[in-house]
Amino acid sequence: MPETPLWVLPLVPAVTALLMLTTRDRRILSAIDVAGSAVLLSLALVLARKVASSGPQSVGFLRIDDLGLIFLLLVAVLTSAVSIYTVGWLKQALAVGNMKSELLRSYFALVHAFVATMVVTVLADNLGVLWIAMEGTTITSAVLIGYHGHQHGLEAAWKYIIVTTIGISFGLFGTVVIYAAAAAAGLQGGAGALSWSAIMKLAPTLDPGIVRIGFIFVMVGYGTKAGLAPMHLWLPDAHSQAPTPVSALLSGVLIKCALLGIIRFQTIAAAACGPAFPEGVLLVFGLISVVVATPFILAQHDIKRLLGYHSVEHVGIVALGLGFGGRIGTYAALLHVVNHGITKALAFFAAGKAIARYGSRDMRVIRGLLRVAPVGGTLLMLAALSLAGVPPFSIFVSELMVLRAGIGRGHWVAIAIFLAMVVVIFAGLLHHAGSMVFGEPAAAVSREPETWSPLLGMMLLAAIMVLLGLTIPPSFDGLLRRATEIAR
Amino acid sequence: MSAETVHTIIDDLGALLLFTMILIIAAAQIYRAIYAVAAQSLFIAIAGAVLAMATGNVDLWVIAGITLAVKAMVLPWVLHRVVQRMNVRREVEPVIPVGATLALAVLIVVVSFQLSASLGQVRQAITGNALPVGIALTLTGVLAMATQKTALTQMVGLFASENGIFFTAMSVTQGMPLIIEIGVILDVILAALVMAIMVLRVRSTVDADIAELARLRG
Repeated sequence: MPETPLWVLPLVPAVTALLMLTTRDRRILSAIDVAGSAVLLSLALVLARKVASSGPQSVGFLRIDDLGLIFLLLVAVLTSAVSIYTVGWLKQALAVGNMKSELLRSYFALVHAFVATMVVTVLADNLGVLWIAMEGTTITSAVLIGYHGHQHGLEAAWKYIIVTTIGISFGLFGTVVIYAAAAAAGLQGGAGALSWSAIMKLAPTLDPGIVRIGFIFVMVGYGTKAGLAPMHLWLPDAHSQAPTPVSALLSGVLIKCALLGIIRFQTIAAAACGPAFPEGVLLVFGLISVVVATPFILAQHDIKRLLGYHSVEHVGIVALGLGFGGRIGTYAALLHVVNHGITKALAFFAAGKAIARYGSRDMRVIRGLLRVAPVGGTLLMLAALSLAGVPPFSIFVSELMVLRAGIGRGHWVAIAIFLAMVVVIFAGLLHHAGSMVFGEPAAAVSREPETWSPLLGMMLLAAIMVLLGLTIPPSFDGLLRRATEIAR
Repeated sequence: MSAETVHTIIDDLGALLLFTMILIIAAAQIYRAIYAVAAQSLFIAIAGAVLAMATGNVDLWVIAGITLAVKAMVLPWVLHRVVQRMNVRREVEPVIPVGATLALAVLIVVVSFQLSASLGQVRQAITGNALPVGIALTLTGVLAMATQKTALTQMVGLFASENGIFFTAMSVTQGMPLIIEIGVILDVILAALVMAIMVLRVRSTVDADIAELARLRG
């Protein structure tokens, strides 16, 4: 097996981004896009084997352990699916004038720059590098959200960049405060300072008071980026206005990268002031998110906004899993990160195709999708069923585990609220999805055959979604277990 | 320089920083807010130089220099250019009366000092009152953003908020690693440029302030 140094990983999408600037031809751009993503995915898989056999790897500011690996694999898989989907999506978007051909290369370059910054966030060992990369994701994705160039897109992009930049500066403040605590406890200075693994070694000796303040700042900061309520206000706008492939990346991976940041700080806080404090904070944010998202999901008419609010709910569920804590809670939260990432990207893909076909994102206009696009309609229904938490799909499994963790810890009030909201959302989501997929389509709806590339991208994700619902492969289970030991 | 002197200087600079923050919140014209945030960055550069002299940490000199060049000169210049290009009529538009905002700012400062007073051990790790001043600046920066409706005043609030973080980071006795500080400043520049482009783009297409667009609801 060839040795792949860690720093090659973020370099792959970065080089891909630069290559994009050399041509204007759509076919060549798409080819570079798919090839770059495929290289990233295969390197991530090679790295996964290496970590499984010989433990965490580290080079300078970067480090990969089992916890980071879960997120890295999610980034790589979704990037590949997005690249495949984009081939056909782009052809259609160019035809109707949603994308302009002279801007294509900068679009592709930005997408890969965005992926590169996300790869750095999951590989970062140094908490400062984590922050810098996280702000980097904001800058690159803000441009992408406003990419269609119309007023709504720019409004969403502005709200996004202002709210998340201010939010994440809280995250930097929290990082500085925890660094100060570590410095007071005898952390060595120099370039290795701020390293998560070095701070973890000292964590039990840190001053609990200052770590508490730092953790709250970090929680608000990275929580803003993760879309936890009440800091989620930018999320439905940004996720609904972005071009569909970007929406899938935002909802599928970006908010998960922010969650990884929270988990890193949670472990420090748990070691310094006992697990009860960070778990309590996560529990509160998780519950607020689940409750706040519900009415908006029910009353929504815009399908992409619906999916955006739905991400708020699911980030809340992950936070609940972490908040219930213990082995089961953490395991469930990590599994839910993967399940929701895959499923939500699939849902955005399917919704994007439906929107293109009907020329509207209003769910009252989209009717009878199954008649005009049998495969796409089926995939949308599958995604909706899974998102609603129907067995045997993957999200049902992780939601059930979150619930079990809560029961194990005796958080009865939290469980009651969680269950009530999940049931309401279940009904609301299936109502929305059912009315889109079934029924008679209007006569004016385009009946042209479905194109292969978006379907291939979607099927890839659907296959993973179904597989993870039926069984968790032993190698993946082992990865999750080892990651749980790190995050717990 | 004795540790005592450094403490005193940092505390005095902290007071000046809070004063410039009040100027930003109370500014009736966008130009004044921009000058105030430039002055604030200048004080932070001075604080960096003082700490560099006191600790002999060479990195801090570099950080002070970059702060002076980027935050006290380049960013205010960018903001200034955007104001000229926009040719704005209504420059500062408070959501609630300035008096109420100032009262809230005072409350934030008091709470920040109260909060930090309860932390004993950190005193050794952060010079003087840099922690409460940093918390107060960060939060009042957010306050300034929340109580202003125009895009440019929101940007000024954002920079002021980040100044608070820089001040605290500098005052951690060992200093932040240089490479991290440079990365953070690079991010700030890039974010400012992207925001400036968005503001101008919206102004040129629909003749509205980007922060006042409110079509996306529900």
